[in-house]
Amino acid sequence: MIAALWHNLDYAASVILFCIGLYAVITKENLIKKFMGLNIMETAVFAFIVAIGVVDGGEAPIMGPGVEPPFINPLPQALILTGIVVALSTTALALSLIIRIWRQCGTIEANELREVE
Amino acid sequence: MTPWPPLLALLIVVPLTGAVITPVVGRTRAVRSANWSLGVMLATSVIALVLVVQVARAGPFSYVVGGWLAPYGIELRFDEFGAVIAVICLLGTLAMVFSRRYAARAMAEQRIPYYYALLLLNLTGMIGFAVTGDLFNLFVFMEILSLSGYALVAVSGEKIAEMAAFKYLIMGAISSLVILLAIGILYALTGSLNMADVTERLGGAPAAPLAVAFGALTLGFMVKAAAFPLHIWLPDAHAIAPSPVSAILSGLVVKVGIIGMLRVYQIAYGSGAVDMRTLNHVLMWLGALSIVMGAFFAVFQDDIKMMLAYSTISNIGYIILGLGLASSYGMIGASVHVFNHAIIKATLFLGAGALIFQTGKRTLTDLAGVGHAMPWTVAAISVGAISIVGIPPTAGFVCKWYIALGAVQAGHPFFAFALVFGALFIFIYYIRMVNAFYFRQPRDPAILEVTEAPASMLVPVLILASLCLIMGVMGSVPLSFIEPAVHRLLLPLGGG
Amino acid sequence: MEVVDARAALAPAISLVCAALVFASADNTFWRRFFSIAAALAKLVIVMSMLPGSLRGVVYTFKLVEFTEGVGLAFRADALGMFFSVVSSTLWLITTIYAIGYMEREPNRRRFFGFFALCVSTTVGVAFAENLLTMFLFYESLTICTYPLVIHDETPEAMKAGRKYLIYTLTGGALVLLGSIVTYQLAGTMTLSQPGILPLEAGRTTLTVLFVALIAGFGVKAAIMPLHGWLPSAMVAPTPVSALLHAVAVVKVGAFGILRIIYNIFGVALLRELGICTWLAGLAAFTILAASVVAIFQDNLKRRLAFSTISQLSYIVLGAALLTPLAATAAIVHIANQAFAKITMFFVAGSIQRATGKTTVHELAGIGFRMPYTMAAFTIAALSFIGVPLFAGFVTKWYLSLGALEDGAWWYALVMLASALLNAAYWLPVVYTAFFKTAPTAEVEVHEAHWTMLGPTLVCAVFVIILGATVSVPGMPFALASAAVKFVFGM
Repeated sequence: MIAALWHNLDYAASVILFCIGLYAVITKENLIKKFMGLNIMETAVFAFIVAIGVVDGGEAPIMGPGVEPPFINPLPQALILTGIVVALSTTALALSLIIRIWRQCGTIEANELREVE
Repeated sequence: MTPWPPLLALLIVVPLTGAVITPVVGRTRAVRSANWSLGVMLATSVIALVLVVQVARAGPFSYVVGGWLAPYGIELRFDEFGAVIAVICLLGTLAMVFSRRYAARAMAEQRIPYYYALLLLNLTGMIGFAVTGDLFNLFVFMEILSLSGYALVAVSGEKIAEMAAFKYLIMGAISSLVILLAIGILYALTGSLNMADVTERLGGAPAAPLAVAFGALTLGFMVKAAAFPLHIWLPDAHAIAPSPVSAILSGLVVKVGIIGMLRVYQIAYGSGAVDMRTLNHVLMWLGALSIVMGAFFAVFQDDIKMMLAYSTISNIGYIILGLGLASSYGMIGASVHVFNHAIIKATLFLGAGALIFQTGKRTLTDLAGVGHAMPWTVAAISVGAISIVGIPPTAGFVCKWYIALGAVQAGHPFFAFALVFGALFIFIYYIRMVNAFYFRQPRDPAILEVTEAPASMLVPVLILASLCLIMGVMGSVPLSFIEPAVHRLLLPLGGG
Repeated sequence: MEVVDARAALAPAISLVCAALVFASADNTFWRRFFSIAAALAKLVIVMSMLPGSLRGVVYTFKLVEFTEGVGLAFRADALGMFFSVVSSTLWLITTIYAIGYMEREPNRRRFFGFFALCVSTTVGVAFAENLLTMFLFYESLTICTYPLVIHDETPEAMKAGRKYLIYTLTGGALVLLGSIVTYQLAGTMTLSQPGILPLEAGRTTLTVLFVALIAGFGVKAAIMPLHGWLPSAMVAPTPVSALLHAVAVVKVGAFGILRIIYNIFGVALLRELGICTWLAGLAAFTILAASVVAIFQDNLKRRLAFSTISQLSYIVLGAALLTPLAATAAIVHIANQAFAKITMFFVAGSIQRATGKTTVHELAGIGFRMPYTMAAFTIAALSFIGVPLFAGFVTKWYLSLGALEDGAWWYALVMLASALLNAAYWLPVVYTAFFKTAPTAEVEVHEAHWTMLGPTLVCAVFVIILGATVSVPGMPFALASAAVKFVFGM
């Protein structure tokens, strides 16, 4: 059990990170903190997918003289690059929404906003 | 006419570039951006129409972008389920027309080009989602349409619009992440992102990660589809968004979850490696619950758009139930309801939008008697209401019939019962609406002085309402169109 | 012999066109009247033109659209359907004329006549439905089309009645839909062209549940007790609507549906095997007697009529449930007999209400002298309900009793007798009050109603006598009913 966990330490860490993020999204009242929770979740998933591509003893997949296989699988990294771009735009949109909420309601605490509604 | 696959790439490239150029075109005069985006949408519709005709004649086909071969390159794949692009283009075009007057009043002039750009982007995302053959692209297109969707909800300028958009964003982003996680697991198991490839290589994969992956995919897509109890983001977002956007969100964007689910089935059944029975059971119950609870909440709404939003949950329940039954009739009914519900719900939301635009009121109490002032709009809404309840001979009936038949076919007559009586429940609140419009004394006599909606709003609503009737009478056309795809899908189960 | 003929589809379609034209004619009274009457006439001509062929045994069929194999919109004018459509299209013409007179000064006439035409369209659609799906389609449409008629007055009371009406009938419709689905699954078809399609192998329990669901579904509109609650409430509607609801469209569609379920879906042989029809017959007999007893205590004339309708409809159900040829003949013929007699009475009630504003029985003292023709028509209808020979109602009672005896169920003959006495107990006092009590002296001058209302009343009364007196004349509706029975019982 412990050995299996140790062997898959990267996956276990992603799961823990994911749960921390989810906890923040659900429990935090401050919208920015809520959103930071979401960012943590995103990081967890990104880390997980990048970890998939790891090959034991692999080199960075940059072709050139003197570089021999095995390589680390580059595809997940390329994908996550896209994923980060998406996450970034989500963050930008969310923050601009939060600014507008603050301008309109004078608060960004979810419990106070519910009263405003 | 033999298929010409490069058209598939154009289908995405045209609206995408169109969306990017829209703000530039509308820089000096906002109305130019409206014309431009309408033109782009019409061009896309023509391409979509050609493609649908091709798939009807020759079956599914695919196009590899840039010439890279299947496992590495990006593959676009067009099958009968992808024909949902036809309804995407139709609703998109009509929403563009409807928006002309709406946007002019609802937002500052310099914002209008961005509104159209977002709308085009949203439609592009959906089109891409429907035709991609690659799991990661599925995710990217899903994010394009989700992000533009969040922004569009906030556009309306209602007091709590930003809050609704934020809620929608959080739920949407979490579900996207869950789906991305599942895609990651599938990649780890198969080493491929191409759906056809994944399907082939999935055989022999260990059961536990598979269960996590398919469970996560289902969960993510059910949030997108707003199945009860994962629906909490939907009512506010759909009710507060500008009416043309509500029509797109309710008619199309929630269907992304359903189309995604169909892709999941294609992989699961095609590979034969995944046991979907437990998930199907969950889906059946989720569907039945959504039907009943959606109807239950809708009964207590006085705000017309809020009511329509809850009714979407009910109707998505029909579709989810049909999918979960995993019988050919249920699947056909569910797939066709993706089309039909889009048309019906767009009729209702655009009609309601026209009422709100003309009267400035949005509750049933305030709108009492409006049927005498705006006869055409209200007649169209009534057709939509009859249709969504599933009373023959309208579009809603065909699907209800098939899904109920599917329930009996699959040996679950209880769900047929839930479906038919759930529909009765839905009828209660639609009859309240029609009663208020026609037969109740107006609360404020001024409502009788209101004039009929302008042509740019009325014509789209009337086109959609007549489609509700036509799709009911000609119900066999979409049914026979989708049938081969469903049979292909269920073939591994022994033909369904 | 089956012939493909567009007339089977044209008959329902023509009222649809009429409705569209009425809605399009805006508030132009002349064109509205013209379209209504022209369409009613045209429909009668179309249906009548099929009658000679139908009497020879020709069946007209027409397929409109097909969803999948065997499931679609299709029409089939067999003897039973022809019988029903002859009755309803004849009565549509008469009622339209009456309604034009009655609705003279009412608001929302365009809506009224538009939906009126739609109702008849759907009724004939039910009559000519080739399969259960088509039948369900029109059955549900009928519910929707009658709703605006029921709540025509838009008073709170009318809205409440409308809601009640919808809850009852839509629940019934849902049951029919479920039943249709199960039928399709069990039999692989939904056609109504065979004398029974369900196989016994489907299992007794399943078949019994299916039978109960389908009968309850149609029984709501046929107002079998305890599913009758909506009918007396729906009396708030304008009189021509009540006439239409009670005599032509809604309730008859329910009764007709029950006939179709018993004869064409289950089939006589299967039902004898299942033995479930004895229960249905018992329920029908109970409804006949109980509704009559309730009717005696109703002072409001239209409410008394409503309970009489509930009682009379169960004659049809009883006749069908007895599963003997003679009883079946009675059941089919009673569709016409009850329709003409009941519509006469409603016309009379409406005429009195328009002429004097009176709605209760005890106020009618002496009215027989002021409106002699009207009340004469009423008397004819009353005698028919009581079952006096030479009047239409007698034919039903006679054949129904014979049919019961044929089955050895003599007690149903007693039910007929008791019902005759009860009918006498609530109709004769009305006649007595009208003709033999003196009117209060301070009464304003009262005249006969306008000819557009009196004419239809008298025509219907004459029909009651014709139907009763010409049973053995060939070419009359009775022959059509016999043909239908022969097909069902395989004779």
